[in-house]
Amino acid sequence: MRSFSLIFKQFSRSVLLIAGFAFLGSSAYAQGDATKGEAIFKANCTTCHKIDIRLIGPALGPTVTSDTDDKWLTKWIENNQALIAAHDKKALDIYNQYAQANMTVFTQLSDGDVANILSYVRTAWKTQQTAAAKPGASGPAAETGPSDLVIYALIGVIILAFIIILVLNKVVITLERLLEKNQGLFIEEVAVEKVAVDRFAFARKLAKNKKFVFFTLLCGTLALGSWTWITMWNTNVHQGYQPVQPIKFPHDLHAGAMKIDCQYCHSGAYKSKNASIPSLNVCMNCHKTIDRTLNSKTASPEIKKIYDALGYDPQTQKYDSTKTRPMQWIRIHNLPDFAYFNHSQHVKVAKLRCQTCHGPIETMKEVYQYSPLTMKWCVQCHKRTNVDFKGNAYYTKMEAVHNLIKEGKPVTAAMMGGIECGKCHY
Amino acid sequence: MLAMNKIKILGTTVIIIAATIIISSCKDKRSTGWEYAPNMYEHLAYDPDQKNDNFKDGKTAQVPPAGTTPIGFIRFDYANTKDGYEKAGLEYKDTIAASNQNLADGKILFQHFCSPCHGMSGQGDGLVVAHGFPAPPSYSKGQSSRGGAMKDLTDGKIYHTITYGVNAMGSYASQLEPNERMKVILYVHHLQTL
Repeated sequence: MRSFSLIFKQFSRSVLLIAGFAFLGSSAYAQGDATKGEAIFKANCTTCHKIDIRLIGPALGPTVTSDTDDKWLTKWIENNQALIAAHDKKALDIYNQYAQANMTVFTQLSDGDVANILSYVRTAWKTQQTAAAKPGASGPAAETGPSDLVIYALIGVIILAFIIILVLNKVVITLERLLEKNQGLFIEEVAVEKVAVDRFAFARKLAKNKKFVFFTLLCGTLALGSWTWITMWNTNVHQGYQPVQPIKFPHDLHAGAMKIDCQYCHSGAYKSKNASIPSLNVCMNCHKTIDRTLNSKTASPEIKKIYDALGYDPQTQKYDSTKTRPMQWIRIHNLPDFAYFNHSQHVKVAKLRCQTCHGPIETMKEVYQYSPLTMKWCVQCHKRTNVDFKGNAYYTKMEAVHNLIKEGKPVTAAMMGGIECGKCHY
Repeated sequence: MLAMNKIKILGTTVIIIAATIIISSCKDKRSTGWEYAPNMYEHLAYDPDQKNDNFKDGKTAQVPPAGTTPIGFIRFDYANTKDGYEKAGLEYKDTIAASNQNLADGKILFQHFCSPCHGMSGQGDGLVVAHGFPAPPSYSKGQSSRGGAMKDLTDGKIYHTITYGVNAMGSYASQLEPNERMKVILYVHHLQTL
């Protein structure tokens, strides 16, 4: 009896242990609620993480799926700084691998919240992978329209049919002639000669018609004259010029749909003569993390051109300075050297909108020159625009000098900006 | 004019107008068109955005030599590290007055440079975010990735972030001058209280 109870005791203990472990294991992996996790993930994690690709931090899908140590993951997510401070080896490895970038501390998240997030990330990664593995990619392509092959085949069939018709026609004509020859009739050739004679006669008659000749000459002179007139006026006027740029930058998306202000990229327009073409680091403010269009599965070849010009590797997120080369945009608006134009004078002082001269840039997929930029065009606007003096700091000095004149006080050259460096040393 | 009737005259006019339209419309948009005396249009002087073979990297716009300070430029000598960030947060203070004019300037600069991501009211809900860019934390309610609440960020910490960038945000040093950064900070402090 005693030995039996001993055996039973040992047996029961091991069973309990196994059951306990199984329960712990299952609870650790399957407890989380993915839908709740999705909400928490989107509110807290998407600033730095994506499920499928690296953003600021690692791609969470593969990372969290391969790492099943949920206890450690929970600790890391809730307070990674504490783990790093405690010199946890795994934590330090990650910290150094991602250039010692700090991850936000999420002490407000409970263990349950973290379990929900983990379960969401794992299920989302799983669904993404199964979707990618499915060979149903050809389905939507067929829906969008017939493939190139079908179109080419159709064109081929039409051309072939045409050739056959022509050949058959020829055969019919030859056979008919043969038939007529046998009957001794040559009506056809006679008919052809008659037509030719008629035609020449008509032309000769026309050439003798003075009214007609005058008419033709008049039309020709007027058409040529108007062509010359238009060509002369448009010489050196580049209105409508729309060159192909090295990167197909869509202004309609950036300035139109996303309403990014012109100044964000052309920041010189407010403070310099030149509106400035943005250097590529301005592109990288966003395109460091955006390498494709919205909802696209593959990286954009146009955005890749930015990376190539900078020697940037999106995988490691590092720049190789030996591979950099400047981007050679093609200048659209070009004023000759004998005309001075200052952007800041028009944008900052006159408070003009960019669209006044550059047209509806926010709707242009490809930019073209909207205004003629001729002297007439400049003068016309300068004649029609009233100057806004009120609260305009640019004109305060001018107003002050005029007030002095009204009061009958002396005005020196220095008061009018006569000792500014640029007055002599330009 | 001879014995032409009205229909003939009208017909001629229509033909001429049509010919003019056709002639003037066949213009290649990829070309600048005819140019007379192009020497007047192709500058001798270099434009800032122009190619320049006189320099090794082929650009006219050259970076100032390392260690130089332009006139009127305010230096910010804190390293782009966590320590530099914390140090700037303790030591650095804005040197411009919190006037209404500066706040208004800051608002415009914020709307032009920051609101595409941070949103008009700093809640991290800009239009670029709506198009798939990772959302930044709210100024008033969010948590900073470098510790503490966003609403407690000091002058130095914000200045450090604008100058060097952090996480998905890039450096705005090339777009905002030091005094413009200070104006933006003034306005961000206002948004932190929302």
